[in-house]
Amino acid sequence: MTSAAVVADVASNDKAPKMSWASKFGFDRFSGLYLIAAFFVFFGLTENNYLTWNGSIEFVLTEKVIVSMLALAFLVPLITGTFDLSIGANMALCLVIVNKMALETNLPDGVGAAVGMAACLVIGVINGLIVVKLRVNSFIATLGMSQVIAALIHKIHDGGQITKAFGTEYINFGKKAIFTFHWPGTHSEISLPYYFLYGLIVAFAVWYVLEHTPVGRHMFATGGNPEAARLSGVKIDRIAWGSLIASAAIAGFAGLIYSWKFGTYSNSVGPPLLFTAVGAAFFGASQLKGRPNVWGTLIAVYTLAFGIKGIGLRYPRQVDWMQPMFEGLTLILAVALASRLGIVKVARRRSDVRNEPTPEPSHPIPADIVDPIAETLESRSQ
Amino acid sequence: MSKLLEVRDLTKTFPGQVALKSFDVVLAAGRTHALVGQNGSGKSTFIKILAGYHQPDPGSSAELAGHPLYLGDGKAAYRAGIRFVHQDLGLVDGLDTVDNIAMGVGYVTHRGGRINWKANTAQARDGLESLGFGNINVSRPVGSLAPSERTAVALARSMRGWEDHAHLLVLDEPTASLPGDDVERLFNAIRIMKERGVAILYVSHHIDEVFAIADDVTVLRDGQRVATHSTSELDHEGVIELMIGHRLERTQHKSRALVGAIGGLRVNGLSGGAINNLDLVVQPGEIVGVTGITGSGREMLAPLITGQTPSDAGRVEVAGRAVKNYSPDDSIRAGMAFVPADRATQGIIPLASVTHNMTLADVRRNWRRGLLRHKEETVECVELIERLSVKTSSPATPITALSGGNQQKVLFGRSLRLQPTVLVLDEPTSGIDVAAKEQILLLIDQAAQEGAAVLVVSTDTDELVRVAHRIIILSGGAIVEEFTGVDMTSENVEKAQLRSTKEGDQ
Repeated sequence: MTSAAVVADVASNDKAPKMSWASKFGFDRFSGLYLIAAFFVFFGLTENNYLTWNGSIEFVLTEKVIVSMLALAFLVPLITGTFDLSIGANMALCLVIVNKMALETNLPDGVGAAVGMAACLVIGVINGLIVVKLRVNSFIATLGMSQVIAALIHKIHDGGQITKAFGTEYINFGKKAIFTFHWPGTHSEISLPYYFLYGLIVAFAVWYVLEHTPVGRHMFATGGNPEAARLSGVKIDRIAWGSLIASAAIAGFAGLIYSWKFGTYSNSVGPPLLFTAVGAAFFGASQLKGRPNVWGTLIAVYTLAFGIKGIGLRYPRQVDWMQPMFEGLTLILAVALASRLGIVKVARRRSDVRNEPTPEPSHPIPADIVDPIAETLESRSQ
Repeated sequence: MSKLLEVRDLTKTFPGQVALKSFDVVLAAGRTHALVGQNGSGKSTFIKILAGYHQPDPGSSAELAGHPLYLGDGKAAYRAGIRFVHQDLGLVDGLDTVDNIAMGVGYVTHRGGRINWKANTAQARDGLESLGFGNINVSRPVGSLAPSERTAVALARSMRGWEDHAHLLVLDEPTASLPGDDVERLFNAIRIMKERGVAILYVSHHIDEVFAIADDVTVLRDGQRVATHSTSELDHEGVIELMIGHRLERTQHKSRALVGAIGGLRVNGLSGGAINNLDLVVQPGEIVGVTGITGSGREMLAPLITGQTPSDAGRVEVAGRAVKNYSPDDSIRAGMAFVPADRATQGIIPLASVTHNMTLADVRRNWRRGLLRHKEETVECVELIERLSVKTSSPATPITALSGGNQQKVLFGRSLRLQPTVLVLDEPTSGIDVAAKEQILLLIDQAAQEGAAVLVVSTDTDELVRVAHRIIILSGGAIVEEFTGVDMTSENVEKAQLRSTKEGDQ
């Protein structure tokens, strides 16, 4: 190394930004956990039932497995720079198929579950086809697809609820307790159902692929800069397509969990959960790692859930308007935060890679929804 | 000479770093003043303070045309008539020239607010014509214009609304995206503005440009002004010496003789884009330089060989085996590695760490029995970081925190990790400072010594002469001339390029 090089290196020395008090205590990366703690203290002191197993904890832990799955379904393509807005509809599709088949055929309920999952996989393949081959922006493609799925659901079951379609064996498969713990001296007991475990397995599987396999690394690279990823030998088409199939499958699995937990179908299930799922995935991107990640997403889901549960207990008559308000504001704040940190799709500008490093944290860059894969594909097709 | 802007005692500190220290500068109307310095020397900080993006530390003062100027206020700077053309130009590709020019200052309107298209179009046309770019079709989308024309549009926009006042125009790396022969057209426009009495602050990495266009030059080093001179008092080497604080060893690389081994890269009948039926052989251990003017096919060669852009016809062989050259993935698997021309859009993954950027092309190497071995990966990266002398606080630092030269070294590391049989480099030193450039040239030489066949496509003749065994001149998509040994001088190579232009014109 020449001495000239040493000079240049000293000159271009990058300084780590000074830690602010907020980041020292982890208020940024662990804000979700701090919020949960705050909810526990506040609602725990004001509401008698809040910190009890039967009052809210069991409810939140088990019910939110479903929306956790949807949030992971949104997370997987988000990492590759692709949006899948059809996950809510996909969940409903799987749910209606498994209910309908249990109701109207003599086949075992498990076959219906398999058919439901297969249908979701097909949707995932078609989503990929539209995004990768037809070069439709994923945001638009999956938005359109969710309406197509809504139409299919109408065709499959034109009406309201389906109840009591399943045999006990099917329900037990998901709902029986992993463990039961009797609280000494009382009648209350603590238990968690098997579907909680299944959800955890899915979360671990997604985490494993994202963080511990080359495929995961390629997914992050594709989301970060698809053209650079392509030129490094990453098959970005396959990555985007695969992520849409995975997302459809996870969304379908959310439908199965719903069927185990509630044993019913209603036409109001599915798409409304999309909102919470999207919010959690973006909120989760600001947690733990400073980029979209599995555990951050789950922390986000449960932070929101414990907040809403507390609101529901404290203001039972207000919850109808407070819940959507809370969710809406959280989504906006989460995305604002995430784009401020440069975590999610921001307008890629030259200034991000200026030759001279800016010796202070980067300024907020206006976020906009760009679809890097579609953009790259477009520029290539020209 | 009349003083236009005087800045005195300007200091700017960031946490843990003094970016500018008691900086003084005087800019005169009707003169071009160049600001040079290595990355991190403080030139960007100065521009950002002028633009009002950073606040200076207390104690500085500035005077513009006799009135005090408050530094660190973007609006005040704008009102005082300071305009900026940044490296990325800030144009909207989908809109035409008229719209782009109006974006800065607003449209001319009829009474009632309706846009007066005729007047706007005429103004845009006049503005461009006065800069010597009267041939631009102002109703075409800006994205379809040539790079020099786009720069002209940005210049015309910055000039609008203050045609009659003599004020200050700041050009930040204006030639960064310009191919060599377009630079002269830009210089022409700059000279026209200068004649109108505009003071021009010209920031560039290219010392040659400074001598071609500037009247005065100020050299910054580590946040301090080292010298201000008239360009007639200095020479190229002198400026570099001031920039880095001592004399630069300009070693000739390409240390050993070729053995004439078989293998390496063989290209037969390659066609696509501007390239037409091109044959080329690069032996193992050989460094072949390729250059040519814009439109000669120079920009297309590396993308075609590496499969970045699909070719129409032709055969590419690596070590005797044909590559299905339709995707970068195939060429990498065949033993090729390449560093693309545009680091920002084609090279780095912005949010990822140095490690993840370095290992991207070959993540699988550290994947065993179902787990990515993160520790092993980091250790290998640290070795590469040391070998390439990448300046980074840790392997986990986001790559965007590094300077351009260091980012480029990381991309080199990505390629070298593949232990390529063939290494294809497209503009490997564009936009990086002098010292980092020396290191990159050294790395190119090392890669060849280790047995890679290296193809370097570049507009920088000087760099090719120093690093290559052989230089090929492209024109009209084919090889027109080749230089080796003592004939291979900057002068000969540049003359050959110009000769090929004349032939092309016939």
